[in-house]
Amino acid sequence: MTTLAAAQKAPLDSRTGKPRRPRHPYRAALATARGRTGLGLVLLVVLAGLLAPLLAGHGPTDQSALALAGPGTPGHPLGTDDLGRDLLARLLHGIRADLGIIAVAVPLGAVLGCLLALAAACHPLADTVVQRAFDLVLAFPGLILALAVTAILGPGRVPVILVIALAEIPVFGRLLRTGILVQRGREYVTAARVGGTSGGRILTRHILPNAADPLVVQFAVSLTVAVFIEGAMSFLGVGVRPPEPTLGAVLSQSMPYLAQAPHFAAGPLVTVTALVLGLSLTAEALSREIRR
Amino acid sequence: MRGYLLRRLPSALFVLLLASLLVFAVLRLVPGDPAAVLAGPDASAEAEAAIRASLGLDDPLPAQYARWIGGLLTGDLGPSYAIGGRTADLIGDGIGATVELTLGALLFVIVLGAAFGMVGATSRNRWLRGTVRILTTGALAVPPFVTGVLLVLLFAVLLGVLPPGGRVPLLTAPDLGVQYLLLPALCLALPSAAVLGRYLEDSIGRALSEDYVRTATAAGIAPRRLLWRHALPNALPPVVTLLGMQTGHLLGGAVLVEAIFAWPGLGQLAEQALVRRDYPVVQDLLLLLVTVFVLVQLVTDLVHAWLDPRIRWE
Repeated sequence: MTTLAAAQKAPLDSRTGKPRRPRHPYRAALATARGRTGLGLVLLVVLAGLLAPLLAGHGPTDQSALALAGPGTPGHPLGTDDLGRDLLARLLHGIRADLGIIAVAVPLGAVLGCLLALAAACHPLADTVVQRAFDLVLAFPGLILALAVTAILGPGRVPVILVIALAEIPVFGRLLRTGILVQRGREYVTAARVGGTSGGRILTRHILPNAADPLVVQFAVSLTVAVFIEGAMSFLGVGVRPPEPTLGAVLSQSMPYLAQAPHFAAGPLVTVTALVLGLSLTAEALSREIRR
Repeated sequence: MRGYLLRRLPSALFVLLLASLLVFAVLRLVPGDPAAVLAGPDASAEAEAAIRASLGLDDPLPAQYARWIGGLLTGDLGPSYAIGGRTADLIGDGIGATVELTLGALLFVIVLGAAFGMVGATSRNRWLRGTVRILTTGALAVPPFVTGVLLVLLFAVLLGVLPPGGRVPLLTAPDLGVQYLLLPALCLALPSAAVLGRYLEDSIGRALSEDYVRTATAAGIAPRRLLWRHALPNALPPVVTLLGMQTGHLLGGAVLVEAIFAWPGLGQLAEQALVRRDYPVVQDLLLLLVTVFVLVQLVTDLVHAWLDPRIRWE
């Protein structure tokens, strides 16, 4: 009876004539115009970063006598910076450095936040402790946290990763905690409990999969936040140490030369915008499809 | 209301206490001897010892903590070693600049946010609504350091109408001060204005779809009057709360915007103190910024509870 009803309702595939299986919401989200544009922009930037050593004709820290050469200079398609370094090489390796930081920091923060939320779900005392710890981290508005961490560790790559991860822990932790609390009140959880399923199994096999959707959206949002924190820390002079390029570092180094050499800033401006816009569009596409 | 305050206050104070302990630990966790760092590489052992004594680094930790908090409460912050002058004076100068920037930005947030929200909720012009939609999406997605550079490129380099950075105090020279304030305040305000605009749009939209609005329409009340006298007052309370939360974000964001526009506020002071390893100043500043942030959050919660009595009894 139910299979018949499902078969009648499911739309038929135009090519095979068989009932089409409903697509997973994430795949449906990424197939929308918004999702495609977003994913395309992100992939473009990621590809540029991954292929940096192949695409760049120079090392990111190689200096030449040509300072502030304009775009189109032979051998330097994007021009050079104030120290005669190739801007294309610095941009590509900057993307690479940013990706390296983000790819470690955001998953780290997400996993730690979720683990803490799970621990909090097990015992009321753990919940109180974890909640207060989240409050404490959230009491340091983003960049103040960055200043506090670098006051201890000094500037560098590891502090940037640590600041991003630390800022993301309470975000993911609170999101998952709310999700768990909401799902716990649902009838299927009560049913599972009555059926004799253990608490741990209910949490991992029943509640978690149902509470995961907002976390996926948040992951995409957090990636943009990570780009933002890396750049901001470079502007504050507490980011990755020079001469290593990052997107934020190249952009902040271009600030004094905006009037004489606007091309200096152009590369990172376009790249950062493409990356964060791509990630935002992807996040929005996902969240729209999930809410449906 | 007083009951709510009494319940909310302890947790805020507890967070402050933890934060102060954490910040206090910062100075002690720094690798190496802070006195040696402050005295410089060529300093004699006596000079180092003098700095150690004046910082009180030889005392037991609880005594150091008590003296630090006591000094903060009485306004006696001691001297600044690396930057020079008294810490209290440095922070006093910085506060003026940061407050000026934050208030300027807050004004932009209110004006732009209200404009975005009203256009989004009520305008029938598709192009106008589309433009606002693109503007808010951009302002939300793009980090302030990108908008900052773009603003400087457009207004300072291309058009040459506004200075690219620096500050002239608003109170001493209002006409010049405003020119210096405009770009940093706008850069700081844009993301919050976009958040506020989206929220206001949503809030008005929801108020306009309530039953009482339909009743009022049926009773023949003009749409304009309906919007201003009926829907808007009902849509505003959550927006006010959001505005409070955004004020906290503005304070945090000011640190970055000050760095972009060379605005000599608390953020720049913190950056300078960090780079020169003036740890006592760093310590005082961090706690000050966190305290203000926690206070803003507390006041926001109180205003929310005042506007929406249901919160108080949760």
